[in-house]
Amino acid sequence: MTMSTTSAGLEFHDVTVAYGRRPVLWNVDLTVPGACLFGIIGPNGAGKSTLLKAALGLVPLAGGEVRILGAPLEQVRGRVGYVPQRESVDWDFPVTVTDVVLMGTYARLGWLRRPGPRERSLAAECLDRVGLADVADRQIGRLSGGQQQRVFLARALAQEADVYFLDEPMAGVDARSQERIFRVLAELRAEGRLVVIVHHDLRSAGDWFDAVALIDMRLVATGPVAEVLTPENLRRTYAGRLDLLDEIGRAVAEGGRTP
Amino acid sequence: MIDADSTHLWMHFWAIATAATVSAGCALVGSFLVVRRLTLLGDAISHAVLPGIVLAVLAGGRPGGAGVFLGAVVAGLVTVWLTNLLGTHAGLAEDAGAGVAFTTLFAIGVVLVSALAARVDIDPGCVLYGILELVPFDTVPILGLEVPRALLAAATVLVVLVIGAVVCWKELVFTAFDPAAARAAGLPVGVISAGLLVATSLATVASFEAVGAILVVAMLAVPAAAAELLVRRFQVMLVVAVGLGVAGSILGYLAAWRFNTNAAGMIAVVLGIEYVVAALVAPGDGIVARVVSRESLRWRVACEDRLASLWRAEEGDAAALAPRTLLGRLAQARLVFWGRIGRGSAGGLTDIGREEARVIVRSHRLWEAWLGRHVALPLDHLHPPAEWIEHHLGAEVRGRIAADLEGHEGDPHGRDIPSEEFPRRAADEPAR
Repeated sequence: MTMSTTSAGLEFHDVTVAYGRRPVLWNVDLTVPGACLFGIIGPNGAGKSTLLKAALGLVPLAGGEVRILGAPLEQVRGRVGYVPQRESVDWDFPVTVTDVVLMGTYARLGWLRRPGPRERSLAAECLDRVGLADVADRQIGRLSGGQQQRVFLARALAQEADVYFLDEPMAGVDARSQERIFRVLAELRAEGRLVVIVHHDLRSAGDWFDAVALIDMRLVATGPVAEVLTPENLRRTYAGRLDLLDEIGRAVAEGGRTP
Repeated sequence: MIDADSTHLWMHFWAIATAATVSAGCALVGSFLVVRRLTLLGDAISHAVLPGIVLAVLAGGRPGGAGVFLGAVVAGLVTVWLTNLLGTHAGLAEDAGAGVAFTTLFAIGVVLVSALAARVDIDPGCVLYGILELVPFDTVPILGLEVPRALLAAATVLVVLVIGAVVCWKELVFTAFDPAAARAAGLPVGVISAGLLVATSLATVASFEAVGAILVVAMLAVPAAAAELLVRRFQVMLVVAVGLGVAGSILGYLAAWRFNTNAAGMIAVVLGIEYVVAALVAPGDGIVARVVSRESLRWRVACEDRLASLWRAEEGDAAALAPRTLLGRLAQARLVFWGRIGRGSAGGLTDIGREEARVIVRSHRLWEAWLGRHVALPLDHLHPPAEWIEHHLGAEVRGRIAADLEGHEGDPHGRDIPSEEFPRRAADEPAR
């Protein structure tokens, strides 16, 4: 399956996200073309993960609209894959590596149907692709951090999606796993899929992404890596923390007025 | 005192069957609560259903009837809702919120029961401890058999719970493991989570009469927690948890019968014992497994140290002293028994023993050499880490270290590093 070339892969139209009443992401207007590796980059607390969760409908929008493959999320859920942050789950949960990868097929199967031979062979294929075929029956708690991250990636692959969202897939991951993950992501792009990645490490950004968005509570800049990662933009993202947005956000949350 | 009267035996049979059924349902629901780290919420719901039950009885519901179940489920959901409310609006942490919500609701229930004792057929003592022994006296006829009403209620709930678990299996497991990804994939996570809470309320209210508010928590949490220690897959964990719950109920009841004490209390005690046993014998992380692993390492280290010291003595370093500690002597005896050391007072290394000793000394000196090259450590600090790591190096890593040290012959103290293969000629030695 390839994407239609007429519509963008992912569009944010004036998206604002608030936790409680306090805005944490302000008026993001961003268009990501199809079939590329797209990095969302910014400092801690910039709202990178929040932007991803907003696209996936995991946090409510305070304003604006998100379209994926030219349609609202509800219409394209089955074509969207998600790799959450590794620390977001309890890795002592009593399931095997294969069990987790099979979860990627659950939504497609619908109620009552169990994963059958087709799903099992798909899971084995996805595990092979991320280089984990030899630990398929292991309990997930007994994997290294890099292996756990690759299990998550394999689960997303089993969803056979057209758009992938990954939240910090390289955090706390060994070099070998990083390389493997990146190779798989590059394959996905070559197959005509869009891969959106939240990433914190500026140094490697240039090597990996076709295009990036610099985020710090608002969109600072977006476009091809060479155009965006300029000293001026980086200064505006990392050094020029907009205390203004923080202050106004607090005032909104408290229902008061800024000084 | 065992009475052979058959009526009495029937009474005990019904009581045991009720306890086992109740326990099976609780273990099933409890397993989901335990893996979702929601055990405290199960605790909260089990207490908070009390006012729901009392109000339902006041409104004319029969104990064990559908109205009472409905009241309990509503009360259970109110607890969860209150907990969330306290969390999001009063800023209380979730555990504190649950603590406030369920104790308050439970207290309201207790006050209602005491104040309306004349109008409500509920005994506050039973609320806390259950009346398993009296369950067989309140029966309904089914196919000519006088079946206890409590058993009927518990069995109905158990069937509903099993059907629910089978129908929603995939959704329950995915939601329990990774709710965010499940939601992103389009699964109805909110409905599934609410369903689990309703199931908890059902299991609790079915158990209430038999075991009481306090011991229901034991049935929810303990078998599931024990099963989690014992197995590595969730399907198996469910079966083991139900098995432990049923076994604990039967054994607990029989023990209470034998010692003439409160059955529900005894069941909870037996469940507690089951947990302790599980913690002891759990594979891998169990206390026994950890002690065995630690002691077998100590034992291996003692044997290897003995071999290495004999090897160094042969090398001409110093005479090997006779082992002094008990462990050292035992290790010596074992090495003699397995033919690593010759018999008799002069007993030196045998050929096999020399081979094994050489590998250990090689590991030791390789590690010293590697540390000397890569870690800034004074020369006299190299020995202790090598004494430790020498017992943990395998052939492949030794080869990698040797390759890394290529061209740097000898260890930092100037001694030769023994070869990996049995020494033929030095020139034959492979690079890896």
